[in-house]
Amino acid sequence: MSRSLSDDERIALNAFVDGELDAREATVWANRIAADPDLAAARDEIEATRAAVAALDRPAVSADLLARIEALAAPAPATRPARRWTEGWQNIAAAVVITALVASGATYYLSAPRGTAFETLVADAHRRSLLAASPVDVLSSDRHTVKPYLDAHLGLSPPAPDLAPQGYPLVGGRVDVFGEKSVPTLVYRHSEHTISVVAQPGTTAIVAPKPLASGGYNMVEWSANGFVFTAVSDLEPDELLSFVGDYEAAASSP
Amino acid sequence: MVRAPSGGRTDRPQTRQALDQDRAAELFRQVVVPHLADGLALARWLAGNASDAEDIVQDACMRALKGIDGYRGGSARAWLLTIVRNTAFSWLARQRSSALVMVGDLADIDEASAANTSGGADPQPTPESELIRRADQQMVAAAIAALTLPMREVLVLRDVNGCSYKEIAEVLNLPIGTVMSRLARGRQHLAALVRRAEQ
Repeated sequence: MSRSLSDDERIALNAFVDGELDAREATVWANRIAADPDLAAARDEIEATRAAVAALDRPAVSADLLARIEALAAPAPATRPARRWTEGWQNIAAAVVITALVASGATYYLSAPRGTAFETLVADAHRRSLLAASPVDVLSSDRHTVKPYLDAHLGLSPPAPDLAPQGYPLVGGRVDVFGEKSVPTLVYRHSEHTISVVAQPGTTAIVAPKPLASGGYNMVEWSANGFVFTAVSDLEPDELLSFVGDYEAAASSP
Repeated sequence: MVRAPSGGRTDRPQTRQALDQDRAAELFRQVVVPHLADGLALARWLAGNASDAEDIVQDACMRALKGIDGYRGGSARAWLLTIVRNTAFSWLARQRSSALVMVGDLADIDEASAANTSGGADPQPTPESELIRRADQQMVAAAIAALTLPMREVLVLRDVNGCSYKEIAEVLNLPIGTVMSRLARGRQHLAALVRRAEQ
């Protein structure tokens, strides 16, 4: 009874399941699937296959492997042979120079909340959140939970629209600490990608979304409603910009 | 096994060189380390087992550290996965491993798939997607291993690593249309393999 699907239909169904169709195409395919039981059965099979693969155990990065890899980038002083004492002094001198450079850099980071250093801090906070057991302090897709949490902890509550209909469900919120400032951060998800939106109270000259990158993550910075926002994610720059467009559209409509 | 590097020249520590190394090390920690789990998962499915995967990832990390200046922004994960994939291929070629030999008989699967759709006399009332949902991990893992490499790597990058189509195209250096058709075929073959094993 079931007809066999064409390659193009199959490819489109896969892209539909993967959330890779644009909104207009996705609507077209949602309607076709609703009207055609063969398409619906094929869609179910694709979803089941995808879920079966995603459910497989992933090999864990063992502490041993992580240590070996971190050792690659470490200066590894322990493996160096003993040296004459003059070299020891040279090393200490070099260490003092480096420490001074690093320390002055750190002071610059903390005293210059804007500029490239701030992006580094945001990227670090995002990375830490991904390494933690949960990227959020308050887990909720309900903005009526997230906003009061942030408000109670910081006295600040940036707009927290749930963007699930646009493909970006709200996961929750957390408090990030940059230097001496505590800042509310909203967390959204887009398929397997996590998006952190850091919301600092204030304004900047940058009003229109501006794409940036730091530490392997892409960022978009913009300013609206008395907040300076920085969205950070491993999404591609244009995908992140389109998220920012959806966030702004939802945040500015009451 | 790969030994840790001995820490470079020891006769003349130079501040300049140390700073360059620091910068490379910092970039390495930012760009590579966050995506280790993804690299390991990809290596596991390319190599066929977890212990080879660890060696591949460690090798790939050495290459990544050496070539960290080649990272030009963009998806750090795609950048690392590209290196892991290349490392896996040269590693497996060196090991003369049989893991890359295609195991599954695709003609069989196509036949089974065709028989399933055109037979019509199938008395089995269970929806096919239900059979796949019930399949256990080992069976799914065996089915993935039986896919041809081109299909397997696209499927793993998508469904294990969670890469976007665009990232997969970047890692495999393929047009996005090819990624899409391989993924569609790969999932279809996987479903057929699992179904066959279940029945």
